Amino acid sequence: MAGVSVGESDENPVAINVTAMVDIIFCLCVFYMCSFKFKQLEGKFDSWLPKDKGTGGVGDTTALIQEIRVALFWDDAGQKTIRRFLSREVTSDVELQQFIHDQHADNLRLGKTDVPVIVDAEARVPWTEVITVINLAKREGIANIEFALGLPLQAK
Amino acid sequence: MARKHGPTVKEDVTANLIPMIDIMFLLLLFFMLGADMSQRELAELVLPMADTVVEEKKEKSDDDEFRTTVNVCHRSDSATFNCPVNAKNLVCRQMDHWQIVIRSEEFDLETVKEQIETLAGRDGDPDSAREPDIDPIARRKMSRRKISIRADKFAPYGHVQQLITLCGLAGIYKVEVGAAKPPIEKKV
Repeated sequence: MAGVSVGESDENPVAINVTAMVDIIFCLCVFYMCSFKFKQLEGKFDSWLPKDKGTGGVGDTTALIQEIRVALFWDDAGQKTIRRFLSREVTSDVELQQFIHDQHADNLRLGKTDVPVIVDAEARVPWTEVITVINLAKREGIANIEFALGLPLQAK
Repeated sequence: MARKHGPTVKEDVTANLIPMIDIMFLLLLFFMLGADMSQRELAELVLPMADTVVEEKKEKSDDDEFRTTVNVCHRSDSATFNCPVNAKNLVCRQMDHWQIVIRSEEFDLETVKEQIETLAGRDGDPDSAREPDIDPIARRKMSRRKISIRADKFAPYGHVQQLITLCGLAGIYKVEVGAAKPPIEKKV
């Protein structure tokens, strides 16, 4: 394909050589096709930090504890996460959601609408397990979710 | 006797490339517009799934100027480093195999502290991300910076926990954590 005239040769006797352009377009097409990636739908959980607590140590220790605490531990031998709600070991998401639901319903009956879900996880626990707990709490309409943190770095 | 001649064949037959060029242009346009060049902020990782996650709005806001994405992902294999556990898509619990990536720059738990403090902004700098007034609750100048943490689904929680702690210490309170929305299942 040496040259291609655009339109009838009688009307336009000057042939434009489009070979180079086609080559470049092919290269560009291959580049974009190879680098093209279908974007996964991403979202965010707003987890704004409290301005008056969090990294300054423990709060009022005399106050009555009002919380829905889910503890997560990493089992090295089994290479899995162990989830505890109060003293019970929870294996399935459905079961954990039910526990959160029951506790939340009890709190609402007592007029306590802002009792937080506290995710108390060991450092080696995979992040997906923490997100699962947040997701279950959000499904129950609980907006107040807290992360249990260790002591500030300087104090360690 | 007159000799019969067959139809004369025109020799210079050329392929009409114009429709092909048109289609190529359309394809090129599609891929060029579809290519997301903002991917540099986002490291290659697998986000955990959550169906209640709030999708990001497409429109730009004033806050975008003070927004930073912090990625927590596993180190990629190279000539000097390889992790057979991660290669098999298993949960790697070697803490030093996990790194924090901010705008393609790699950090560990020690070195990221300074970076977070820089992102939070310095007092007195007019272009700083620091809020101009003292916050009445925190009783100090907080940062306007929004940190978006994108952690791999197998990333150790300790890394995310450390990042949240450092943000809190630096005065960054606008923190969000990323998750992927599961694909919508078609009901039969």
